[in-house]
Amino acid sequence: MIDQAWLIPTLPLAGAAVNLFLGRRLGKWAGWLSTILVAAGFGLGVLVLADLLSLPGEERVHAVRLFEWIGSGGFALDATVRVDPLSMTMTLVVTGVGALIHWYAVGYMEHDPRYGRFFAYFNLFVFFMLMLVLADNYLVLYLGWEGVGLCSYLLIGFWYERPAAASAAKKAFVTTRIGDAAMMLGVVLIWVHAGSLDFDAVLGEGAGGLSQGVATAISLLLLAGAVGKSAQVPLHVWLPDAMEGPTPVSALIHAATMVTAGVYLVVRSHVLFEASEVALAVVLVIGLVSAIYAALASIGQWDIKRALAYSTMSQIGFMFFAVGMRFYAGAMLLLVCHAFYKALLFLTSGNVLHGLDDETDLRRMGGLRGQMPISATLFAIGALSLAGIPPLAGFFAKDHIVSVASQSGRDLAWVLASVGAFLSALYIARPLFLAFFGAGRNPGRAHEAPWRMNAPLALLASGAVAAGGVLGLSAEGGRLERFLEPVGGVLEPGHGGLPEATLIAVSVMLAVLAVAVAWWIWASGRVDWEAFPQRQPELAGWLASAFYVNALYSWLVQVPGKGFGRALTAVDDRVIDGAVNEVAEDVGRASRLAPLIQSGFVRSYALAFLLGAAALLLFLGLRF
Amino acid sequence: MRTPISYFLIVSAMLFAIGTVGVLVRKNALIIFMSVELQLNAVNLALVSFSRMHGNLDGQVLAFFSMVVAAAEVVVGLAIIVNVYRRRQSASVDDVSVLRG
Amino acid sequence: MPLDNVVFWVFAPVSVGSAIAMLFQRNAVHAALFLIVNFFTISVFYLVLGASFLFAVQIIVYAGAIMVLFLFVIMLLGVDREETLVERLKGHRVLAITLGAGVALELFFAIRAGVGFATKAPPSFDEAVNSGGNVVALSRVLFRDYFFPFEVTSVLLIVAAVAVMVLASRPRRVFTRAGSETTSEDTTSEETT
Repeated sequence: MIDQAWLIPTLPLAGAAVNLFLGRRLGKWAGWLSTILVAAGFGLGVLVLADLLSLPGEERVHAVRLFEWIGSGGFALDATVRVDPLSMTMTLVVTGVGALIHWYAVGYMEHDPRYGRFFAYFNLFVFFMLMLVLADNYLVLYLGWEGVGLCSYLLIGFWYERPAAASAAKKAFVTTRIGDAAMMLGVVLIWVHAGSLDFDAVLGEGAGGLSQGVATAISLLLLAGAVGKSAQVPLHVWLPDAMEGPTPVSALIHAATMVTAGVYLVVRSHVLFEASEVALAVVLVIGLVSAIYAALASIGQWDIKRALAYSTMSQIGFMFFAVGMRFYAGAMLLLVCHAFYKALLFLTSGNVLHGLDDETDLRRMGGLRGQMPISATLFAIGALSLAGIPPLAGFFAKDHIVSVASQSGRDLAWVLASVGAFLSALYIARPLFLAFFGAGRNPGRAHEAPWRMNAPLALLASGAVAAGGVLGLSAEGGRLERFLEPVGGVLEPGHGGLPEATLIAVSVMLAVLAVAVAWWIWASGRVDWEAFPQRQPELAGWLASAFYVNALYSWLVQVPGKGFGRALTAVDDRVIDGAVNEVAEDVGRASRLAPLIQSGFVRSYALAFLLGAAALLLFLGLRF
Repeated sequence: MRTPISYFLIVSAMLFAIGTVGVLVRKNALIIFMSVELQLNAVNLALVSFSRMHGNLDGQVLAFFSMVVAAAEVVVGLAIIVNVYRRRQSASVDDVSVLRG
Repeated sequence: MPLDNVVFWVFAPVSVGSAIAMLFQRNAVHAALFLIVNFFTISVFYLVLGASFLFAVQIIVYAGAIMVLFLFVIMLLGVDREETLVERLKGHRVLAITLGAGVALELFFAIRAGVGFATKAPPSFDEAVNSGGNVVALSRVLFRDYFFPFEVTSVLLIVAAVAVMVLASRPRRVFTRAGSETTSEDTTSEETT
């Protein structure tokens, strides 16, 4: 089955083509077609996994060559599918969670006039994402990278009649483009110094031959691409705006899959990062900063989807933090669990939107658990999983990462990570309580989502509950950790820091405490949180605007941009237009002067003759 | 003949120059025409002088032809002047400046 | 002092003087008269230079026919019409006189370089060239060597005559009762209706 792994991305590609051309004819079936194809991809993935597991550990790396893609002079590149533990993990997440989100979207996008086009883009995205994770060389990976960026743009701006959506799509594309450009430079550097773009060549012995400076440069350039795609500081500004897209888009692309591509890239290239002394430290710092920054920002958001967007940013920050500590398996576990509970959270909030006629402001929700009990339960599961309440999935993932920080002797990092974990629980319990508990602030009557939309959510919820325990129980060294060993290596357990039991206890207590504080502030009715923006306008402003980063970037771009524009306009007006106008005026002047010769007076003409004749005479006279 | 030929040529040159100035300076079409005749005559004089100098009659023949052509030209030119006068009631050359641009 | 020298030094100043005088006349008739004087002097020069035939032709054709024609036209156009002395074009007069003087100077230098100021004519002109008389000698050259140009000039004269007839005639418009126009060529010098 491994050799047929190329079918996994091909199926959604076919679905995209069919839906693009026949979408209108297919009507309702477009959505089902897309969903079935992605689900089939998941099924195939399971079969491939089974095949892979049947092989002993060291042999679990396979490259299935499809065809020669580029053969130009001295540069040859094949389109190859790489089947190994890391790529299969990602593949199963993308297809599994992806299929469930497709299923949900069939109901959610039911009344949209461009239904077929939506699923065409959705499938196309899955194709590109799978190409990204199944690539065996950096160029195919980059192709998938760009492709998911394109689909993200198309899907964010799906409702393009809304100017906010259109400009959000542009912003996403441009911001990630900056990262992508840096990443391209990194890929070029890889080619220049390693002589190949194949993973086996570059990440095997090739990396050993790279000097410090080159390895650092390559790593940081690739990191720039990852930072852009995964919405980490400083290239994060596009993610909150991207919530203008339909909710399934937010769930699939901006929670479960595309934004995790950055993490995947760094984990895949970890050999290069390890070859540099500073690269991993940079990753760690970026992760930690993003985690805490985004957590604070999430607390200040009133739009439920934006709150979840900043939450995603924060969780990915934790993943980068883990990578920075060389705990690749930990990052991947968090990635898998996050896919489940974040998709669940987004889609449940989609239920709320659906039920309240597209209301997204938390201030106009409240007490919805009476009207939408199932959605409330699902959201609670997702929230508590994220918060890290055992035995839900998120606990295993996050706790392990935080513990490793202490165990590896990074005490300051451990403290900061714990603060981040506390804030995570706080910020996710907030929308839970604001929307579903407390007094109802919405005049309308919300209706629960139909079963066909809640069914996939139930499956996601089961993942959010069980994934952590199944994959990550650290007592035995974790199934996922062992599975990823051929790719990521095993992290030597550190012997510093606090004992494990203490660490677990601390993290659980922080999570419970955060949830309790959140309940007290937002659900108990004893704290007037509604008045907070008036009482503390400055602090509220800082939080709501995510520390004014957007304003800062606007200013940074606007000022030189406008100045440059003005300078260019001046050049255009005075120099270029001036030159042209000058020429025109000269022509005019000349043409006003020219007729003066034609005075009409015969005698003047005769004088001109004489002048010519005299000159000729002179010339002849001098010659002879 | 003991007069140097060049003397005649100098006279011819002077007459030619005077004729030229006359063409340029006068405004009456008839007087301009007369100045042109003066120029032609100056040239004829030069031709005959050279004929004497070189010792053959070619110069005289050419001067003869020149006279014939001058006669024909005068006739046609005067007819034109008469026509112009009929149109404009003026014989001044400055008044026929319709071609001014 | 040899005769031809005397003749030259008498008639040359008259020639140049009459030319300059012609230039300065405000009255066209006076200018024509001065030109006639100039033609006479030129014909004398022809005689001195051994072109007796041209001497006669000059007087008959130039002074006798061409200038008479000129005078006819002057009379026709109004003999008392005098032209203004005001020069409309700025700097034109100065420039014209300067250039005229310049041309004269150039010619002087050309003459000096080409012919030389002191060259005298070969004395044997009458015996060698004008054998049988100037008319006979001239006709010998004209009707043999220059026969074709001679015929061409006769054609030219005919053409000129026809041209003048055409130019001088005026179309006469006749308006019939029905309102249509017809024109008839009329060589009379009536006023147009």
